Amino acid sequence: MDGVELQILWSNLIGIVSEQARALQRIAFSPIVREAGDLANGLFDEKARMVAQAVTGTPGHINSLAAAASNLLAHTDMTELKPGDVLITNDPWMSAGHFFDITILSPIFRGDRIIAYAGSTIHHSDIGGYGIGSGARDIHEEGLWIPVMKLYEQGRPNKTLFDIIKRNVRTPDALMGDLGAQVSSGLIASERLNALCDRYGLDDIAELSQEIIERSEKATREAIRKLPSGTYHGASKFDVPGGEVIDLKTAVTVDAEAGEITIDFEGSSGPSAMGINVVPAYTHAYATFAIRSTLNPDLPNNAGSLAPIRIKLPDDCVVNARYPSPVNARHVVGMYVPFPILKALAQVVPDAVIAEGSGAVWTIQVQGRDAAGKPFTSSMFNYSGGMGARATKPGLSAICYPTGVSAVPVEVLEASYPIAFTCKELERGTGGTGRQPGGDGQRIGYRMRTNSPWLLNTIPSRLSNAPEGLFGGGDGAAGVFQINGENIVDTRKRQMQPDDEVFMITPGGGGYGAV
Amino acid sequence: MTRYALAIDIGGTFTDAVLLASDGRSFVDKTLTTHNDLLEGFFRGVDLVLGKAGIGPADVDDVVVHATTIVTNALIERKGPPVALLLTEGFRDILYIREEHRYDMYDPQIEFAEPLVPAERTFTLRERAFADGSIGTPINRTEVLEVIAKCRAKGVVSVAVCFLNSYRNGANEEEVGRIFAEEAPDIYVSLSSVIAPQMREYPRASTVAINAYTVPMTRPYLSALIAELGNRGFVQQPLIMLSNGGVIGAERASSFPVRMIESGPAAGALVACHFSRIFGIPDLISFDMGGTTAKACMVQGHEPLVTSTFEVDRRYRFKPGSGMPITVPSIDMIEIGAGGGSIASVDDLGLLKIGPESAGSMPGPACYGRGGTHACVTDADVMLGILNPDRFLGGDMKLDAEAAGQAFDRLGAKLGLSRTQSAWGVFEVVCEQMAAATRTHATERGIDYRGLPLLAFGGAGPVHACMVANLTDSTKVIYPPLASVLSAFGTLVTPAQIDLVRSLVSPLADLDWDKVDVVLAAMVEEGGAALSEAGIPKADASFGYSVEMRYMGQQSEVRISLPDDVRKSRDTAAIHDLFEAEYHRQYGLKLAGMGIEMVNWLVTASGLQPDRPAAKQATSASVPNRSSRIVHIHGKPEEVQVYQRSAVTASDRIAGPAIIEERETTIFILKNWTATLHESGSIVADKTKGAL
Repeated sequence: MDGVELQILWSNLIGIVSEQARALQRIAFSPIVREAGDLANGLFDEKARMVAQAVTGTPGHINSLAAAASNLLAHTDMTELKPGDVLITNDPWMSAGHFFDITILSPIFRGDRIIAYAGSTIHHSDIGGYGIGSGARDIHEEGLWIPVMKLYEQGRPNKTLFDIIKRNVRTPDALMGDLGAQVSSGLIASERLNALCDRYGLDDIAELSQEIIERSEKATREAIRKLPSGTYHGASKFDVPGGEVIDLKTAVTVDAEAGEITIDFEGSSGPSAMGINVVPAYTHAYATFAIRSTLNPDLPNNAGSLAPIRIKLPDDCVVNARYPSPVNARHVVGMYVPFPILKALAQVVPDAVIAEGSGAVWTIQVQGRDAAGKPFTSSMFNYSGGMGARATKPGLSAICYPTGVSAVPVEVLEASYPIAFTCKELERGTGGTGRQPGGDGQRIGYRMRTNSPWLLNTIPSRLSNAPEGLFGGGDGAAGVFQINGENIVDTRKRQMQPDDEVFMITPGGGGYGAV
Repeated sequence: MTRYALAIDIGGTFTDAVLLASDGRSFVDKTLTTHNDLLEGFFRGVDLVLGKAGIGPADVDDVVVHATTIVTNALIERKGPPVALLLTEGFRDILYIREEHRYDMYDPQIEFAEPLVPAERTFTLRERAFADGSIGTPINRTEVLEVIAKCRAKGVVSVAVCFLNSYRNGANEEEVGRIFAEEAPDIYVSLSSVIAPQMREYPRASTVAINAYTVPMTRPYLSALIAELGNRGFVQQPLIMLSNGGVIGAERASSFPVRMIESGPAAGALVACHFSRIFGIPDLISFDMGGTTAKACMVQGHEPLVTSTFEVDRRYRFKPGSGMPITVPSIDMIEIGAGGGSIASVDDLGLLKIGPESAGSMPGPACYGRGGTHACVTDADVMLGILNPDRFLGGDMKLDAEAAGQAFDRLGAKLGLSRTQSAWGVFEVVCEQMAAATRTHATERGIDYRGLPLLAFGGAGPVHACMVANLTDSTKVIYPPLASVLSAFGTLVTPAQIDLVRSLVSPLADLDWDKVDVVLAAMVEEGGAALSEAGIPKADASFGYSVEMRYMGQQSEVRISLPDDVRKSRDTAAIHDLFEAEYHRQYGLKLAGMGIEMVNWLVTASGLQPDRPAAKQATSASVPNRSSRIVHIHGKPEEVQVYQRSAVTASDRIAGPAIIEERETTIFILKNWTATLHESGSIVADKTKGAL
């Protein structure tokens, strides 16, 4: 295939996943999908290798979804798959690292042959159990565990499974709606892919996929070959809910000859008793993202461009979660995974890396009864701190790196739940000083419009360990989390009184270079 | 008695003038846009067409319509006077925080457009409305007076007000507006509850800030226009084209400049609607390709699709998310970074990419001979022989085919292809890019694009439309006459129209119809007043009602139009069914038993569809009616017949591959397509049945 033909077919494939993602986002019930874009769509070839992904969502979802397809199929008798079958799981080790994320995979048939799979992962509004937060003591407290199963069998819904799900979650209607959206986006992908094959006279996409993956892998290796061989070390320290300090250490080995990078997490903190443990697939997702976004962000993300990056995880490590460790708030550690890697890469490509930022978005969930006594459970919503500074540009304020999710607008939250914000504005000066200053965090306050006690679930981080500046840049400010003016360290789900007010300042990003 | 209608469209480069006589004659001209004083070019264009027709200003007894890019230019140039933004205390950084969205996940170097109003001119007031519409804290007059003093000190001439939840209850914003009117009547005030009363604080603040920023420019501009037309003896008040595809009186438009932003492109889409009526084809795709971008719009039931959100001034690599959102009704167009000047390159994977970088007009494509060395889309068209380098713009601009050839030698070397093969690659890839974007755009809106005819215009549209049609499974392409001044013409086929929207969130089951009727009546009154200012008699005014709804818990709405009988009989069950039917059409599913909620109520007030004749193609300078040249198709040279558009007659059947030339553009008919002349003056290409 020449560079013209391949470009045409490929832009068609990307069009298909984009159509799928847009449809899914528009149709979704969960505000975090609709407003924050916390979703991933991917198209997989007949060997379950990711060929194309939609340009949405978070690295955690997308790169986990990349692995999920083969994990799901490894647990399925592929010869038994029929048109109309739809696979489902929320197994943390097989998909995106916690129960909230449900992955749906639909085989795409052309005639009687599977030529591809359409997959999606979205963060659902509830999955029963503990709810949002890191307070569960083992994984079984965290909610409903759906093993790899058929959600639809030849177009017929698996009623037993649907009934079990509905009975075990707090927001069955929203969850059913979102699952329906995922299934329907798979149907669209199947239709579109077959239309593409018709238009260009293809029997399948095997050759196309092979070509895309080979070229992506080759280009990634080329980018790595430009770096000096060697092992570079980086470490990042941050505190998580409850005050525990996590140390992530990486040894990044560049093998310029082979065009490969190996990231070894030896020396990092051990497993946590809190629900912040990260499954390997999610660690892999953010580790590969750090490399990809630094070396060549324009290259497409697929099985080929991910292949030259290897991850080594020690046993008994916070980023190598083992059953039955709780994993619910795994993003709080997962979103820090890129930083030690960036610090190692800073020794190799100083102009391409960014300084440490606020890391994970702070997530919040509220539950209770409104003034009229009607119960509510909010979806998870999140706020960013400041991003670290870049070599030639300041860090962005109220923007998270590495994730890409948006905040749910204040007015949407106030219209959906009995919450009233008292403030949400930038906390100027929280970004570190430097030749390029870090981005600022934000001050956010809220209370509930209710007459009865309510539950608060917040996942802050970096309340004591501020983001570091890079190359002489100043550190950003650490975050603040207060209830009625008092600093709070233990942030397990807590009972609140009607008049209680929550106030927080998200951390600022580190500066880059001495002033 | 012949009546005359006049249209002037001021674009970034040219100001187009069209004078249309009721007997079907048309007089058109183009003159350079005069950026220092737009009215200079406006009246130069007016004089040219009046002169051609031999009539005076007083003879223009039908409408005078105006479309202009003044607002867009103001946003891009950022040379406007100081503007202030008033927000709720505690929420001063709405324009800085935006949606907290890193719109390109992989690129850590992204940037955002700088907010229109800087922090030092953003003021907050102690006030609060809640989501249920109740006012928690009313306005304190003293505080407003302090803000006015600060505005004075900073030389502020225009103020935007955006308070939290004002989409539900705008009382506090209105109070601020009243105090300003009393104490500082010389300062323009734009209220978000009037300009864009919809939920979501950031897009609403962005919209009202844009309005406040541009109103100090549009108000004097339109006042001067009204005065000058009067001085010259024109009898009609000018009408202004809005982004929603309607026209409205200049006086009213001057307070809502944010509604004028897409007025030129909107007029283009309206031409597509006009021809869809002439041809009796309700659904088609309008396809407008120019120098830097291509625009596509879906026409459904002879009407353009309308959206309530779009984005302007994308600052970083043309990426969605890097610009400023606007939430006012606008014709729903997709803009694709692919035009004649788009640059072709080979990426790290060895794949051919087009754009989004553009060579613009300086230096322009290599073939312009102005020092450009990149191979552009226009270079490919010249290289392939589709464009005649000696007859570009009727021969006014000679193109350098060899410079284009050399650019393709360089590009081809990277691809391992010859210069003609790589030029054909550019032709194919740019068409696929536009087709792919159109397919995604249609799918997002629940429209099956397959088989929809294309209506092609813009300098580069007719060159590429046949190929794009092949890729969207279309079997018909319409090439309307007057392609070079089509947007100006579009304003003349447009009824007066204003779209109004109010948020009123309520479950369908608990709908308070009395409240709804109050909201609708207020919108009808406002719309009726706007129409009356545009010279529409009461008897000719009509009102369309629609509502945006969703399943409870969703965050994205589906719009249904509300039949009069359903509205009057308050038939909630019928609304339920209409919603589910539309939801099913768009998403292929219904969610039985799920609650439904109403979010926004919309009223469209419109005048009659103008009954003006279709303008015929003007005849052009004499060139041989028929010739032939070599065109490289799929890398193979083929002898292709070349026709002059002005010489094509009703009896001609032009089988592709063929080329039809006119002054401003070239129609390229592919193999398996046949072109004929339609009585409207359009060229129509039909695909042979069954051909791939």
